[in-house]
Amino acid sequence: MLAITSTFWVPKRGSSLQEYEDAVWIGPDGDGSGELQTSSLTMAIADGASESLLAGRWARRLVEIFGTNKATRTRPAFVAAYRTAVGEWDDEVAEYTKDREERGSPIQWYEEPGLAKGAYATILAAEFRDGRGGRAPAWSACALGDSCLFQVRDELLYASFPMSDATSFTYQPPLLASRGADEAVLRRHVKVTTRDWERGDSFYLMTDALAAWFLGLNESGGRPWEPLRDMDTLDAELDFTDWVEEQRDRNQMNNDDTTLVRIDMC
Amino acid sequence: MYSAEISRANPTMFVFLLDQSASMQDPIGGGEVQRKCDVVADALNRLLSELTIKCAKEEGVRDYFSVSVIGYGGSNVGPALAGSLAGQILVPLSAIAASPARLESRTKKVPDGAGGLVEQEVKFPIWVDPVASGGTPMVGALTRAQSVVSGWLNERPSCFPPVVLNLTDGEANDGDPTGPAEALRQLASADGATLLFNLHVSSDKSPPISFPDSEDGLPNQYAKLLFNMSSKLPDHMRNYAQQEGVAVSEGTRGFVFNADMTSIVQFLDIGTRASDLR
Repeated sequence: MLAITSTFWVPKRGSSLQEYEDAVWIGPDGDGSGELQTSSLTMAIADGASESLLAGRWARRLVEIFGTNKATRTRPAFVAAYRTAVGEWDDEVAEYTKDREERGSPIQWYEEPGLAKGAYATILAAEFRDGRGGRAPAWSACALGDSCLFQVRDELLYASFPMSDATSFTYQPPLLASRGADEAVLRRHVKVTTRDWERGDSFYLMTDALAAWFLGLNESGGRPWEPLRDMDTLDAELDFTDWVEEQRDRNQMNNDDTTLVRIDMC
Repeated sequence: MYSAEISRANPTMFVFLLDQSASMQDPIGGGEVQRKCDVVADALNRLLSELTIKCAKEEGVRDYFSVSVIGYGGSNVGPALAGSLAGQILVPLSAIAASPARLESRTKKVPDGAGGLVEQEVKFPIWVDPVASGGTPMVGALTRAQSVVSGWLNERPSCFPPVVLNLTDGEANDGDPTGPAEALRQLASADGATLLFNLHVSSDKSPPISFPDSEDGLPNQYAKLLFNMSSKLPDHMRNYAQQEGVAVSEGTRGFVFNADMTSIVQFLDIGTRASDLR
């Protein structure tokens, strides 16, 4: 397959670039934007929860681990990748704490409960595969939370995963906790899907603010993929940052870290 | 309404009114051997701590809120923070985080991982100390709150509405607080009217009551007065109260009787919540 991928992101208004807490990983090495000729393409997107500490760092670890381990097709693979991430987290926190001490900025009383509670994030990991042995090309994805994948074919929203209703986004999506989770409960929340794809399809992976906007516009008969498809092309009226700001100004989109990965299957 | 973003670009405010009158010297009911002034000081310190922790991110506390703490007792109605913040009427949350009067060590029981509980030492910041002296100028306190809230709303007319929490035994003696409370509740941003909540500490030994929807069943006249002064919980706050196990209806008000009210901090949305899967 020939896939052309583009990534766009903008922090929440009022936040600095360093405070951005979404994360993206595109195979084969995590930074696979551009044209990719490959038989299998893996990617992951995560959204660190605002009300947790080190959420951006946790989101970045999750996309890397889920991406490199191709935790995209089954619940056992999802749980195994999560277990790996949880297993490494204490070392991450210890490294962060040591770094703070070395910089003369030790952990304060108000950070201690948050660090003890751990970081939280959504995750969506997806894999796109060439057709083989007479089977059609397919994609698979696993997700926990409200980061989304949308597939557009022939000017229609062909697939939505895992969310399909603009009104179902809340401040309380299911989240992966760095402290670990009951695996039976986790399995119940993990969504898994496998679908077909064709040349000419476009895929859009995105975090919740953009996903809620996307589904809302689609539900009202609009074509939310149109401005996203044009982004970074000669047809674009605005760059991604300005376009997101405009939606925020018009109260069409929540003010949140906003991330988009666009994949065009050629 | 009550849907405005709470952020550094669009912060809101908390006003805490702390009853420091002589009647707060009396013990709280319900079998606790604690003075009411200790209970409200403890409750306020816990609220400030929870609010700070909620807004803490790496290397700092974000100013999603500014905080005013107004004490009232005897002839005094005014700023009640102790330590280096003494005398300040309105303080950004990052300054609250940076300047508790002191940090005490307390023990709390946490799960030991084997089905039991183990005591753990935690830091407990103190911003206000118990005071109990003189009469109860609640009308004066509510009037002062109006002034602080008005000033805030003039500068931030689109903010999430200010939240005022009155911690008291309800025994006002500078007049009927009903009118000033109503005037305070009428101060509004474009997103809704100011929310006035009441935490009632009482020597009455009746069982604790959290977020009732009717004055029926409240144990005394002070509880009924404070209930009727309290705002109804907006929809999303009612949903959070319900998640806490409170039976709610459209009439549910921001009022508790001899009960914890720290949960109101969690009724406010500042972004995706960090909660475990259930």
